[in-house]
Amino acid sequence: MVDYILNLTLIEITAYALQFLLIFIAVAIVVHKNNGTIIILIASFSLVTASLYIINNAPDVAIAEVAIGSAIIPLIYVISISRQREFIVLDKAMDDFIISDNQMTGIGFILLKRFSDFYHLEINITNDPMLGKVESGRDQVLLEETNVDLIVTKDPDHEGGYLLKGKASSLLLNKLETMLDDYDNVRMIKYKDRDIGE
Amino acid sequence: MNPILTFIVILIGFYGLSTSDNIIKSVFCVTIIESGVILLFLNLGNFEGGAIPILNDHLVDIVDPLPQALMITTIVIGSTVTALSLMLCIKIFHHYGTVEWAEVLRREDVKS
Amino acid sequence: MSRRLFLIAMLGVLFVVFTLSMIELESLYNNYGMRYFLNEGFDDTGSRNLVTAILLDYRLFDSLFEAGILLIAVSGVIWISKHDVEEKNAQFMLDKYKTPDLFVTFSRLVYPLMLAFGFYVIINGHVSPGGGFQGGAIVATAILILYYIDGNKETNIGLIVTIEKIIYLLIILLASLSFFTRGEFFTNFFVPSANPDLKAIYLVLLNVFIGFKVALGLWTIFTAFLKEGR
Repeated sequence: MVDYILNLTLIEITAYALQFLLIFIAVAIVVHKNNGTIIILIASFSLVTASLYIINNAPDVAIAEVAIGSAIIPLIYVISISRQREFIVLDKAMDDFIISDNQMTGIGFILLKRFSDFYHLEINITNDPMLGKVESGRDQVLLEETNVDLIVTKDPDHEGGYLLKGKASSLLLNKLETMLDDYDNVRMIKYKDRDIGE
Repeated sequence: MNPILTFIVILIGFYGLSTSDNIIKSVFCVTIIESGVILLFLNLGNFEGGAIPILNDHLVDIVDPLPQALMITTIVIGSTVTALSLMLCIKIFHHYGTVEWAEVLRREDVKS
Repeated sequence: MSRRLFLIAMLGVLFVVFTLSMIELESLYNNYGMRYFLNEGFDDTGSRNLVTAILLDYRLFDSLFEAGILLIAVSGVIWISKHDVEEKNAQFMLDKYKTPDLFVTFSRLVYPLMLAFGFYVIINGHVSPGGGFQGGAIVATAILILYYIDGNKETNIGLIVTIEKIIYLLIILLASLSFFTRGEFFTNFFVPSANPDLKAIYLVLLNVFIGFKVALGLWTIFTAFLKEGR
């Protein structure tokens, strides 16, 4: 055993070191909880595997791994992980519920801010005119076909009231509904999934 | 190169795949398994003292080029499969409001 | 907890089985194929890089359908991320994504170099490590830098996918040309007795087509993701 270790060439020692490093990084990826750190780990993982491919006399495979594994794969991971914490709100009310005096200090914004801070979400509010033009009857279609999580509109039945519309299947919407007890003039409508083909 | 050490990497990937509660974590583990399988295949064709499979004017012993050609296809396809599953993850988050396996399965049960 | 212990035990059994079967695996493996590629590879295909020889000549059928799978995956990504309502370029009120100026300047310097390196890898695929798949990925990464330089860049995904489909058809046509000269599908269209240097023309052509196809496919994938990220 000792003779075997002493007779290793430099390239074999490097190969063993890289393989133990690979195992270490793999364990770190599996046990780590923070997805942002994992992206760095997966990029270094693909670099270490690329060097192991070179040691295995496979430069073609190494070039492919470096080109794909070090730029494009981390990019799509970064985007999908940052989307994972995002809550998109479409503001169709266009009054001081969310924005008052060109600042985000409305009642609705404080509510959404409380909600997003509580669940560590990143809130993203849009009042895009293209989407705002869609009539309120098609709100369900809008929710299903775009990434919008919540639509804020005026309540046609109550003066000064507001409606929040969302998908019934979403866990976050159910949590938001429990926070609405303090607000008298805000109601929530949850749309159930339609059957396919309807 | 020791294939047993490479197989440990694959086993770590399997362990992560079966214990992860986050959907994106599962995709990470699939990537790990893929890299391990590629290393195993390359190790099969490699031998001591072999040269890279590019011909020179003087004849030398080269390693087997067939596993390498197969593994290039694996890398390119693996990246697109990763992209497809991550795109599905984004859709799942906007539909269920969560990317935890347990929550998604529970909400699926409530609906039916 | 007991379930996790059971899982570790199962993985341990797998590990033991693999360790025991290692010896069998080595006796099963032979190098006849390698001998053949070493002796006949250059004269058969005209490629000094034997990996390219296998990818583009001996096993072209595999590579064609690999490119097909890439096309199908790209279509899947586009179909999943497709939205009927026009929300792609919605302006959010809280815009916190801004690229640093230093990064933009360096990207401008690096971009043409990366593009040139990608084309170099594609064109020299038959004499050096590289080829259509690797070079295409490098070109796609270079194009990705464009999005850092100009964050509001608009891309017509439909046009890119159409070009990609046309190039895929061209690849299949080029691969089928051998039916008229050699009488069999999916191999080099020069006759077997031709000069190996002449046969390299076919390899370069096919490498360029595959490189463009892979670059366009990966471009589409990350454009779909970047639009999702807005």
